[in-house]
Amino acid sequence: MKVLVAVKRVVDYNVKVRPKPDGSGVDLANVKMAINPFCEIAVEEAVRLKERGVADEVVVVSVGPTQAQEQLRTALALGADRGILVEAEADLEPLAVAKVLKAVCEREQPGLVILGKQSIDGDNNQTGQLLAALLGWGQGTFASEVVVEGDRVRVTREVDGGLQTVSLRLPAVVTTDLRLNEPRYASLPNIMKAKKKPIEVTRPAELGVDVARRTELLGVEPPPARKGGIKVADVAELVDKLRNEAKVIG
Amino acid sequence: MDFTFSEDECLLRDAAREFFATEMTADRLRRIWEEGGGCDDRLWSALAELGLPGILVPEEQGGLGLDEAGAVRVVEEAGYVALPESPLHAAWLAPFLLPTLGEEGRARWLPRLLSGEARIAVGIPGDLAVEDADRAHLVLLSEGDALFALTAGSFRCEPRTSFDPGRRAFAVTPSIDPVCIGAEGARIAAELLDRAAVLAAAYELGLARRILDLAVEHARQRCQFGRPVGSFQAVKHLLADVAVRLQFARPVVYRAAWVVAREAPRRALAVSHARLAAGQAARLAARNGLQVFGAMGYTWECDLQLYLKRVWSLAGRCGDEALHRRRVRQALLVGDTVPGAGDTFAEN
Repeated sequence: MKVLVAVKRVVDYNVKVRPKPDGSGVDLANVKMAINPFCEIAVEEAVRLKERGVADEVVVVSVGPTQAQEQLRTALALGADRGILVEAEADLEPLAVAKVLKAVCEREQPGLVILGKQSIDGDNNQTGQLLAALLGWGQGTFASEVVVEGDRVRVTREVDGGLQTVSLRLPAVVTTDLRLNEPRYASLPNIMKAKKKPIEVTRPAELGVDVARRTELLGVEPPPARKGGIKVADVAELVDKLRNEAKVIG
Repeated sequence: MDFTFSEDECLLRDAAREFFATEMTADRLRRIWEEGGGCDDRLWSALAELGLPGILVPEEQGGLGLDEAGAVRVVEEAGYVALPESPLHAAWLAPFLLPTLGEEGRARWLPRLLSGEARIAVGIPGDLAVEDADRAHLVLLSEGDALFALTAGSFRCEPRTSFDPGRRAFAVTPSIDPVCIGAEGARIAAELLDRAAVLAAAYELGLARRILDLAVEHARQRCQFGRPVGSFQAVKHLLADVAVRLQFARPVVYRAAWVVAREAPRRALAVSHARLAAGQAARLAARNGLQVFGAMGYTWECDLQLYLKRVWSLAGRCGDEALHRRRVRQALLVGDTVPGAGDTFAEN
């Protein structure tokens, strides 16, 4: 079985992001970029499936700028076999990404597609669901356990009320939650080997996909700064302030 | 001549840095110290899994095939986190030492070393103790014209105390006959000292940088008289002095690594110069860093003390300052070395 994993280039999770002065987006100048943590978990899961003999090949695909090759190399160093970069402008909408991935899936014919549940920059949490809908495949989102059993995959999902287990017929789409696994470090020999693994570069137009934006970004601004707290003398004063100043209780 | 590090070398440095930053936090280091110091089996397995023991081993023997000039920045990153370094340093000396045991010895130990199955410890000529000797499967001691290859049961370990709780040092007494390597012994001992000294110098660069970063951060946050203490010249200059000393030491260490890797002439001069420059930078960082923090910097709870103690305990290892000064003096006054930049990049 071939497993296809989507990875996204995002601002490193340790970086404190700032909006551009004109509010047209997030300032990415000289900012450390990295593979989206949820996508890293997806790569790890695919590599584990390969190590268990369930998968024959792990293909990683990224839709983004030329520099996204760095994140594909990271995924290859973690154990993926080859990469596909669909070069496009950096800030694509989830629908556009899902359409591109659908085209790649139709070409590659994977048995399983694994994505992160969301990227830590847009926090949209849409691409996996849209991809499953476009392909007409089953979807197991927010996975904390993935077990392939014959022609089905059992996915344990983290939902608000606890854990929900679904069984999907393959091919299927799975999106990863935080607790699915702990990604390994890419070993130094594997980092060197990853440089020799192939990365195919293509474009949305070559896949016949229209990635034009359907939404308009009006502005990006930082959240309001937190105001300093105050000390209250007793519970009565606290209740009074909550009622009359903050107006959060009746 | 291209002085820049290659893309591969930068890639490996970044990977090591990321690993160290996550796995070797100050809290983890403090725990290791509380549990007796040195490099425990869990840490050694993680280092081996990452492929660190093999960075100086040729590719055809299963390593990464870097040389000292390429590896020096990984060592610097290890110093930045005060990694319990002795088994790694020993592994990095192994490609040089193991061939002296013959093909059989190399074939027996190298694969096990790369996989993390075995650990070796190396006694550096002139050092009073061998680090992590009690956990080693093979201890290599170079003494005069003899090389001791000691496996479990063929040596006695007597613990040595240190003010650096990160050290796990032992006096090692062999109970078997050495492998006699005759006239080669002196050459091997000298080269072993140089290789170990370059690693120690690079490690000191990392320690100095970490102490400087901690002190700068503290000077930015700690306020007195309504201003951060870093805004006062007396504090600012302490830190600037360290930054300058560190910046000047770095190329000297890189050059020494290059000289060792290429077996270029005047190795002893380059290595001793590097060890002096890096050691002085690290000790200045320790002294000024402690001044910026005040006495609090020496307390167990303060991260600074972890790096200070490493600096101070490293000062007497791989040749102390007196030895390296003597070697530089000898090269300049007795040898044919011409001081100045003209000799810096002579290849033969």
